[in-house]
Amino acid sequence: MSTEYIVEMKGINKSFGGVRALRDVDLELRRGEIMGIVGDNGAGKSTLMKILSGAHLADSGEIYLDGCQVHIRNPHDSARLGISMIYQDLALFNNLDVTRNVFAGRELARGPFGWFVDKKRMSKRAEELIRDLRVDIKSPSMNVARMSGGQRQMVACARAIAFQSKVLIMDEPTAALGVTEASKLLGLIRNLKEMGLSILLITQRIPDVLAIADRVFVLKGGQRQDVLDVSQVTLDDVVTMIVKGKERNGGQVSEVAYKSFG
Amino acid sequence: MSRIDWSGLKKYAVVFVLLVLMGLFSLASPYFLTVRNLTNIVTQNTYFIIVAVGLSFVMIGGGIDLSVGYQMSLVGVITAMAMVVYHLPVWLAVVIGLALGTTLGLVNGLIVTSIRIFPLIATLATSTVFQGISYIVSRANTFRAYPDQFLWLTKGRLLGVPVDVLLALIIVILVTILYYETVFGFRLITLGGNEEAARLSGINTRRMKIAMYTICGFFTAIATMVMISKANTTNPSFGPGTEFIALTAAIVGGVSFMGGEGNIPSLVAGVFLLAVLGNGMQLAGWGTYAQFIVRGLILLGAVAFDEYQRNVARTMQKTG
Repeated sequence: MSTEYIVEMKGINKSFGGVRALRDVDLELRRGEIMGIVGDNGAGKSTLMKILSGAHLADSGEIYLDGCQVHIRNPHDSARLGISMIYQDLALFNNLDVTRNVFAGRELARGPFGWFVDKKRMSKRAEELIRDLRVDIKSPSMNVARMSGGQRQMVACARAIAFQSKVLIMDEPTAALGVTEASKLLGLIRNLKEMGLSILLITQRIPDVLAIADRVFVLKGGQRQDVLDVSQVTLDDVVTMIVKGKERNGGQVSEVAYKSFG
Repeated sequence: MSRIDWSGLKKYAVVFVLLVLMGLFSLASPYFLTVRNLTNIVTQNTYFIIVAVGLSFVMIGGGIDLSVGYQMSLVGVITAMAMVVYHLPVWLAVVIGLALGTTLGLVNGLIVTSIRIFPLIATLATSTVFQGISYIVSRANTFRAYPDQFLWLTKGRLLGVPVDVLLALIIVILVTILYYETVFGFRLITLGGNEEAARLSGINTRRMKIAMYTICGFFTAIATMVMISKANTTNPSFGPGTEFIALTAAIVGGVSFMGGEGNIPSLVAGVFLLAVLGNGMQLAGWGTYAQFIVRGLILLGAVAFDEYQRNVARTMQKTG
């Protein structure tokens, strides 16, 4: 079944204790697009994405993948469905090399009952990935603890690609990077799009979004404000939307949420 | 620029220190470097090796088990009582002992994962519980004179090698393969490296943690069999203290206190380092009790080195 949207989230609600982090949020991600997710601190960007990746459970709401309803209860479920999230704090293993980071939790197995790891096949595959992604990592046996922020992001991307993810969620990928590395990474994200992935990009850096995204989704106080077409808007439009929201929204409730999460 | 890369050094440091120590003691005492003495060191330490290997599962997985000493105490008296009080067949007594040890490990795993408290405190608590049970069940009695079949474990020989030495060797080889070649071993190291990331990678971290404590309990029980067979006697005070030596040996052998790192050959070298130290100090006439002080200092030094190494890695990551 092929619908216009690869991911649809409908009526997502989520509270933490007494604080409503998300209220009735709808999101539609088109096949093969890069969609920026923007909003102030505490707007609910990460929460919404973590619900899609299974790190959080929504209180209510539905998720559709390729038009079929899916139930995502944990990160394992989302991985199985082809949704990968690259976390802001980079869920990498500093004690391991690139290959083992890429395959952590989803090792290529061999032998009786699949008890043994196929190290050769994994490092070969990791090497191919590094080549395909055109990233500057010298060897798959390099330890990630010794890598720069940009290289680490690339390892995280390679991890997502290795498992034929269809949807990739990136949480502030450029936040900790210098200018050169950030632009390299944005290039990589474009490559990923060309490889057919649909990408959700959480970011505070609006220029990044304007540079590579197709559309931008604006959240404020846990509510969807609007989805803007990047080709139709300016930096100012997006910032205004983030700060003020749509006229009908705004108000005190958002303030409360802001204080609690900021 | 020219920052020293310690990681290579760390891998072999323990072997190097072991050799230096052996050289030192061979100068200090003519009896040290004799076949007989070295054979003694090996055969006296088989059960420490087995405990340390068991503990490595927990430590590499990012946990700690301080209760292995009293696990040994309890498993020891139960196994001994099964043989000398209830006159059960040796194989049944051993099966009971191994099943009990595995269960104690399972209990630790369930507690650590259910209550989500520091494993250091959790296993300190269970340790005391095991101690109490051990003394109550045994009424603080000593049980000695086991059947020959049971003593075969340490007195017997296969292919000219003492059975317990062979057993320790097989365990060391199998577990080394497990860490380097199996999905379980890979995931354990992954879990120890970053638990949250492991969870987000879809690894069932709770099940892994329960498994590592259970495996530790199983190996601890095997070690207990060797320990009481070698002594041909046991009471509730047999076992406690082992946890300290196994823990120190593991850390000296490069198993990180923070998890995610370690290899079995170095761990074995760590056990021998402590053993050689005790033995050598005794032969050289430096006193038996001074070795406790030295062991404590070694533990401190090894942990400090581990921590220092981590800081270097962290700095390199920032500036890299």
